[in-house]
Amino acid sequence: MTSNEQGGTSVQHAVILVHSANHAPKAEKALQQAGITCKLIPVPRRLSSDCGVCLRIRRADQETALRVLEKARVEIEGVHEI
Amino acid sequence: MTKTIDARGLPCPQPVLLTRNALQEANTVMTIVDNETARHNVARMAERAGCTVQVESREDGIYVLVTKGVISQQQVEPEPAPVSQGGPLVLVVPSDHMGRGEHAELGQILTRGFFHTLGEVTPLPDTIIFFNSGVQLVVHGSPVLEDLDKLSQQGVEILACGTCLGYYGLKDAVAVGEISNMYTIAERMLGAGRTVTL
Repeated sequence: MTSNEQGGTSVQHAVILVHSANHAPKAEKALQQAGITCKLIPVPRRLSSDCGVCLRIRRADQETALRVLEKARVEIEGVHEI
Repeated sequence: MTKTIDARGLPCPQPVLLTRNALQEANTVMTIVDNETARHNVARMAERAGCTVQVESREDGIYVLVTKGVISQQQVEPEPAPVSQGGPLVLVVPSDHMGRGEHAELGQILTRGFFHTLGEVTPLPDTIIFFNSGVQLVVHGSPVLEDLDKLSQQGVEILACGTCLGYYGLKDAVAVGEISNMYTIAERMLGAGRTVTL
């Protein structure tokens, strides 16, 4: 039983959008290897009507995550706080 | 006949599962829990099953009295329940990847997205049945375990095919829901108001 993110109400999140679904696993792997907790989720409806996927991270990890992805040469489309 | 379930100190989803199982055998079940979340989940499951719920908070716990309604008493007859539009919504997951295509990785991305989204949209399924390679989603290390845990805590019944778990050697690795058999799986599917296959 995981209890680290019960309901997600207390943790503030951001999502990192990638260009297409086939970039998502590479981005996820890079973040996980850097010890950053992330979850692959569909792009929230209010950000895009496209059926895209993105990586949800803790807002506190945002800067580190972007550095990690840059280093891993994963191109991203944008970052949004949710 | 009233059956008493002392679910104090038990983690979710045990109070819900024990109450549900007890309702198979008794028309009235008194479940004792020690927290509001468990009370809510037990009551929600019972109401969805057509039972009436009475709650009494005492010093030593919250007493949830669940009484089967006329409809739910009929449903536990050995004969399969008649199929009706208003019956349970059953989600069937026959694979660890959603849809068909040459790239399983894409299907796995879709599966993960689907189970995340399930927590944010309505209606919630009453039961989710995992079989064939779908059972890999209910075991330790599954990428959707967190989502399934939440659904289970909300009273969604999660069943995984025992034959399939055995085939994959995963019976000891189940992390959410119940190991089920073909009788239950067939009953849930045939008794569903609506079956949605992923």
